[in-house]
Amino acid sequence: MKFYKPDNLNELLGYINNLENKFYLLAGGTDINVQIKNGFINDEEIIYINHLDELRNIEDSERELKLGTLVTFAEILNSDLISNNFPFLQESLKNFASPLLQNMATIGGNIANGSPTADVLPLLLVLEAKLELVSSNSSRVVEIKDYFTGYKKTLLKSDEIIKNIILSKDKYHLFTKKLYKKVGARNALTIAKAAIACLIKTNNQVIEDFVIAAGSLNEFARRLYRVENYLIGKKFSELDYTEIETLLRKEITPISDIRSDKEYRFQVFYNLLENFLTV
Amino acid sequence: MKISFTLNNKKVSIDTEPTKRLLDVLREDFKMMEVKESCGEGECGACTVLLDDKPVTSCLLNIIHVEGKKVFTSEGLSKKFLGKLLIDCFDETNAVQCGFCFPGFLVTSYHYLKTDGEANLEKIKVALSGNICRCTGYQKIFESVMLACLRNDSTGGKS
Ligand SMILES: Cc1cc2nc3c(=O)[nH]c(=O)nc-3n(C[C@H](O)[C@H](O)[C@H](O)COP(=O)(O)OP(=O)(O)OC[C@H]3O[C@@H](n4cnc5c(N)ncnc54)[C@H](O)[C@@H]3O)c2cc1C
Ligand code: FES
Ligand code: FES
Repeated sequence: MKFYKPDNLNELLGYINNLENKFYLLAGGTDINVQIKNGFINDEEIIYINHLDELRNIEDSERELKLGTLVTFAEILNSDLISNNFPFLQESLKNFASPLLQNMATIGGNIANGSPTADVLPLLLVLEAKLELVSSNSSRVVEIKDYFTGYKKTLLKSDEIIKNIILSKDKYHLFTKKLYKKVGARNALTIAKAAIACLIKTNNQVIEDFVIAAGSLNEFARRLYRVENYLIGKKFSELDYTEIETLLRKEITPISDIRSDKEYRFQVFYNLLENFLTV
Repeated sequence: MKISFTLNNKKVSIDTEPTKRLLDVLREDFKMMEVKESCGEGECGACTVLLDDKPVTSCLLNIIHVEGKKVFTSEGLSKKFLGKLLIDCFDETNAVQCGFCFPGFLVTSYHYLKTDGEANLEKIKVALSGNICRCTGYQKIFESVMLACLRNDSTGGKS
């Protein structure tokens, strides 16, 4: 296995700009090491980035919070900046993997690994997070909703890395109720069978705003716009749950070959949503 | 690649593949057989060590990551006040059967005792949720850690 350790971010970007071979960035290593063990990574080059302090800041400004890609889940769970600005994010990630893994796993690695089950994705989708992608000669900001284009396929170019995750503070405080739930076999160390994140803003029984995202139910985690469009502007009393179920079916196509499993995942998700809207 | 770090309070260095797992370096190169491998995929906690005072699974860590850092294994911690206290409590509660999981539990409980230490069952369960025991059943393990918390409290949290 070829290995490289850059001295700083610039050197890293210059290096991958000229690299022909496929490579992996070694951040927390919790995904990569399982892939190495199981023989999914062989000749690819491994580039260590966990020592690059430029990638681990949490930067606060009036309208946004920027998380460096190397921020770990333990840091997210312990950060005052996050508990002050996005308590929902902190609360929701408490069951991430296990306390041992939380000390190593990074937020950028969770996104970049590209699994439709990644815990952070439904949360970032409803928070309308943006990703700052950099290469040696470019820097661009993309919305997380556009980042995935297929199963493990993303907008990231071969010479780019994720540098920051940007959370806007503008809308967050307007939402009156929030839900995040991942359903799995047990509490700790659970890979989600279905995950739901939604935020709602209501006023006098009218749904003024609603965002919802699903994890583990499609080829990649995504927002469910049909459901959002149906709900926004309606009164709770005029909601037609058969219609909601139909729309939801159009939005989610569980990635399992086993029919019972598909139906189970769908039902779990639907029940969580119905419960959120009715209770 | 040459990697230098502190292992159980001693400065050490080793020339090896940078992606070699910390687990393998500890077992093969430093003969620290107390660090166990079971799942090899981060799920069981048998391989837990302290890295810069935080518990991590050494089967998912590459040795490059340890450069300049401090590593403690259960063996190293067993010589410290809180380590000894924990071993006594595990003994008294009969929480250890085959013992395979014990080094990992010792490291994780040590960290809990050191950073929080409240005799609170719910908190202890969460703190130990990355460690699996196939024999004892967790009740006795939780009891041991509770006992250690209470005793440590009565010594005024000395460590
Ligand atoms: C036992 C166990 C339990 C787990 N439980 C959960 C769980 O509950 N929820 C969950 O969501 N995940 C879980 N995971 C998966 C994993 O821990 C997470 O996906 C983690 O966040 C990955 O981050 P990392 O830093 O360890 O990634 P690494 O393994 O270092 O890298 C993962 C991938 O991301 C790429 N990458 C990393 N950083 C960047 C970057 N800045 N730019 C571009 N690409 C990058 C790498 O090239 C690599 O392909 C679990 C894994 C294990 C082994
Ligand atoms: S051997 Fe490392 S967690 Fe199981
Ligand atoms: S005592 Fe045997 S695995 Fe825990």
